[in-house]
Amino acid sequence: KLAVENSTLRQARRDRQLVSKRLLLNEDEEHLIFPQDIVSLLHKLQHSGTEKEAHLKALSKVLRDPAAQLTFIKHENSMHLLVGLLTGSNAQCRLQAVRCLHELSHSSHTNVAPACLPATPYLLTYLSGPSTKFTELCLYTLGNMCPDSDVVREKLLAQGIIPALASCIENQRHTLAVVEAAAFTLSQLLQARDAPEKIIPIVLKSTLPSHLLSVLTPDPQFGLAPAIECAWCLHYLICSTDDNKELLAQGALSQCSSLLVSLGGAVTEGNKEDGIELLIWPLLRCVGNILSSCPEEDLNAQLTDAHLPASLCALVQAYLHTLPALARETVWVLNNLTAHSTEFCSALLTLNLVPGLIQLLPFSQGINTMILRILANIAHKKKVFCVQLMQLGLLSALCATLKMADQEMVIQSLDILFMMTVSSPVVAEEFVRQDGLSLLEVLQYNGAAEMRQRSTYLLEKHLLSYQQHITVIVMQPYCLC
Amino acid sequence: MLQPEALQLRTEGRDEQQERRLSESEEGNNPFSFTPQIIRLHKDHELFEDGDIHRHMYLQDLYISEAEDKPALSVSEFACHISGCSGVFSALEEYEHHYNALHRHVCCSCRRSLPSARLLDIHIQEWHDSLFTILAQKQDMYQCLVEGCGQTFRTNKHRKDHLIRIHKYPPDFRFDKTKKERGKEQKDAAMEVVDDVCESEGVCEVMCNSPSDEPEGGESMETHECEEKATTEDVLAAAQDTESTAPRKPQYSYRIPNTVCFGHGSVRGFRGRRGRRK
Repeated sequence: KLAVENSTLRQARRDRQLVSKRLLLNEDEEHLIFPQDIVSLLHKLQHSGTEKEAHLKALSKVLRDPAAQLTFIKHENSMHLLVGLLTGSNAQCRLQAVRCLHELSHSSHTNVAPACLPATPYLLTYLSGPSTKFTELCLYTLGNMCPDSDVVREKLLAQGIIPALASCIENQRHTLAVVEAAAFTLSQLLQARDAPEKIIPIVLKSTLPSHLLSVLTPDPQFGLAPAIECAWCLHYLICSTDDNKELLAQGALSQCSSLLVSLGGAVTEGNKEDGIELLIWPLLRCVGNILSSCPEEDLNAQLTDAHLPASLCALVQAYLHTLPALARETVWVLNNLTAHSTEFCSALLTLNLVPGLIQLLPFSQGINTMILRILANIAHKKKVFCVQLMQLGLLSALCATLKMADQEMVIQSLDILFMMTVSSPVVAEEFVRQDGLSLLEVLQYNGAAEMRQRSTYLLEKHLLSYQQHITVIVMQPYCLC
Repeated sequence: MLQPEALQLRTEGRDEQQERRLSESEEGNNPFSFTPQIIRLHKDHELFEDGDIHRHMYLQDLYISEAEDKPALSVSEFACHISGCSGVFSALEEYEHHYNALHRHVCCSCRRSLPSARLLDIHIQEWHDSLFTILAQKQDMYQCLVEGCGQTFRTNKHRKDHLIRIHKYPPDFRFDKTKKERGKEQKDAAMEVVDDVCESEGVCEVMCNSPSDEPEGGESMETHECEEKATTEDVLAAAQDTESTAPRKPQYSYRIPNTVCFGHGSVRGFRGRRGRRK
């Protein structure tokens, strides 16, 4: 069943329609309910006096059924009735009414949620109320409604959902369940197709980013679930915006990287809390993408935690076999970290992290190509780094990668080889000594021009002079001398 | 797959090495193009697919942290990059094995692959050295193939008899064909180990089409039936390796021109005397 779900979700993502809703289950879910006719229930609700609460409760259970949901919204005045009970003087009725709305919001039919629009101004108002359970239900109901239509989102924005969410998180920041629910709702808004134009600018101007960041603390009592939601919100914010200067200024890079370091430490110690990768994933993406907005000179000021490179390498090792996609994203972050920073390149060398990276070169599907990028970043910075890379065994590793079937691997290997070879005669000699010339000679006749050009250039311009015996033979026509 | 966004190269404080590299690139024909780049990934990038799926399965309460079906971590394959050879191997040892068996001791002129440097030497001498032919009319030039034996013979046949009688070789030893026998052997893939490669990988035309330099009768390799007749165990193993992998590499259009051999001793042609003849 899981496999089917998995592939359904993947296809949905490819169609840009990956959407999820959350259903908050009631405590007494186990109680069976006899199927009741919706219409008669509604009738009873309209006309009864003291049993409204019981009828509402029954209604909320019936509304779990998709067919009942459709019947409900088709029925005239049903929503009007529900909203009336939502805003009435009976607190228990309010709770049951919001539960009914919550069931409706969870519908997979996209025309059910819009039918709940009359209730939204009240749901938003109630976000600042004192009852945790009630607030949670309001939030998840709103969150579930967001993906279903542009109209719904437009109305919600006009009704002030952003400031409402901001003050909700701010005022109830110590109530984990509410923070989680509010961040979930925000994440639903941020994933919308039109979010970059219509939603994200408003969010960035609000106090939400700083609240989200404040939740990303390694404080264990704060709980994983709220942090997960906040991190995904930040990921959607960062990857949808080209320039993240404001978020940088608010400390996004340092906060996310510090938490990553803590999590990396926990994972290395074997402290793998269930679902911890759901937090690691968005944090990696935040750091990876926000690095492109951080000027090189500010990098050290922004990234105060010097343990980040080591933590990232630890995460790669920890997840390589269980979640290779996570390992792949981790090495992507390492590339962005080392691309323009001599300090981080140097750190990888001095912290002895390079051998571990070299050992990852057999692994394909994006891992080894990214690792070569990282090593190339290092080689690119300084001649002395090239020599150090050689001493760590990179040349013999390249002799293997040059034989790989993946063209990109071969071309990147040639690129690194070039940088290393021109850095120092020591490196060139060592490569020749390791019989690397024959590898290059073979590539001179490869089908791909990029390989031919590079190998020929390397041989002719740089390496043949290191050969003791030049044995290129030109065949003469058959002769008798 | 990834679309890097280039950031400007810093102009101050360049390291000497970057200076040298830049001056090389200014020459215009430097094909190397690597520059470090920060890679930005947008929300829907395919690299993010797995993580997004995990996220949504969690939201839909379908998430199991340590799932039983672990995704397989895949390992890069190796491929023989020799033009015309499309062998693909899952381990480096397999690749090395293939290369050593099929490409290491290859005769430049006729493309035959020999199992050892010594046999290659003897082959070149006996098949492509005209001086050898002349000297052989008057002296014992044919060396015994067994290393250390040291005996020489006037004709190929004498040597063959010696091999059979003294060294208990089979009468149809693969690496002791006479030149004349080639034309007649339709089914023998003995020396044509390279043909084995072609056959199994389906890129026969590329390597087989290069005509050999032999003077007798325009004999070329493609007239032979390419057959899977392995000789030594090595060759058999290598041929089967390459046979089992479906050719998925693009057909190489670049043949090694006849006029160039790989330097460095892997493929050799006639080089003149090496001082072994008596």
